[in-house]
Amino acid sequence: MTLALYQIVIIVLAVAMIIQGIRKFRSELSGQTLLKLAVRIIVWGGMAIVVAFPKVTNFVADIIGIEDNINAVILAGFLLLFLMVFKLLSAIERLEQQLTVLTRKKTLDGIQEDGK
Amino acid sequence: MWIIIAAYNEGKVIREVLGEIQSAGYRNIIVVDDGSADDTAAQARKVSGVKVFRHPLNRGKGAATKTGIEAAKILGADIIVTLDGDGQHNPKDIENLIRPIQEGAVDVVLGTRLLHPKGMPWYKIIANYIGNAFTWYFYGLWVSDSQSGFRAYSRKAADCIDTKTDRYEYDSEVIREIHTHKLSFTEVPIEVRYTEYSMGKVHKQNVVNGIKTLYKIIWSIIS
Repeated sequence: MTLALYQIVIIVLAVAMIIQGIRKFRSELSGQTLLKLAVRIIVWGGMAIVVAFPKVTNFVADIIGIEDNINAVILAGFLLLFLMVFKLLSAIERLEQQLTVLTRKKTLDGIQEDGK
Repeated sequence: MWIIIAAYNEGKVIREVLGEIQSAGYRNIIVVDDGSADDTAAQARKVSGVKVFRHPLNRGKGAATKTGIEAAKILGADIIVTLDGDGQHNPKDIENLIRPIQEGAVDVVLGTRLLHPKGMPWYKIIANYIGNAFTWYFYGLWVSDSQSGFRAYSRKAADCIDTKTDRYEYDSEVIREIHTHKLSFTEVPIEVRYTEYSMGKVHKQNVVNGIKTLYKIIWSIIS
């Protein structure tokens, strides 16, 4: 099996990203949860597998029901991106709500100190 | 009873609005300056007897209104009235708004511009009906003015209603809470004074904000 340069670069990058994720998870210092680690492994691992074994895309095409394997990969990518954007928007929404709660608490601190 | 005014960049008119409310005989007033860029809070503080709170950051009309309601609850309010800070609501309507609650008939009174939409621009009437339709579809309760900020709550209602949204979608979310907690409510016609000042404000509910409000309502359901 001979690998082209782009395949080597992507595989090395993917492996590095997965190792970094595992290190973060094991150190328990950077807020890396099991879910985040799983997402990282699926995204980077999936990318490495597709690059190393392009014929896997035929399997993906069969599962999704799209004949052309490249279209199947693009569709799968869009779905993944959609999920990631959805998760990102949820996180922003949660942060916005927390910011409002914090703002309200700070605003009303005085009223409670006054004992009114 | 406490009156809540959520104000954002209303420095030009806030003293006049507060003076009008006091002239109508109401003394317990809370102003929540929602992180204004102008001197709204400073102007409000010049009016004696008014409690002024200031959000260090702009969080939206809904967030500021909720802060005011929380403040009123801490101050022991039995009835809470919310109205806009740009002078479009007539304080003389407060009496009609709180009466059903004082009589123990209902938990919430919604001021409605659409029962007698005198002086209301036609496009606002249409926009409000669209807002009502979406509110009914997503939150299950038909009201004649889902976007009105002139409302009165009993203490029971203020304790039940737990909103999460910060901006204009707050008004619709209150309708959802009324439906969810099976609170009794009625609608009372209110006068709305569309002045050059109130119509010229860029942050007021407009088409773009209306679309954003709809997006937020849908997002709150699917997320």
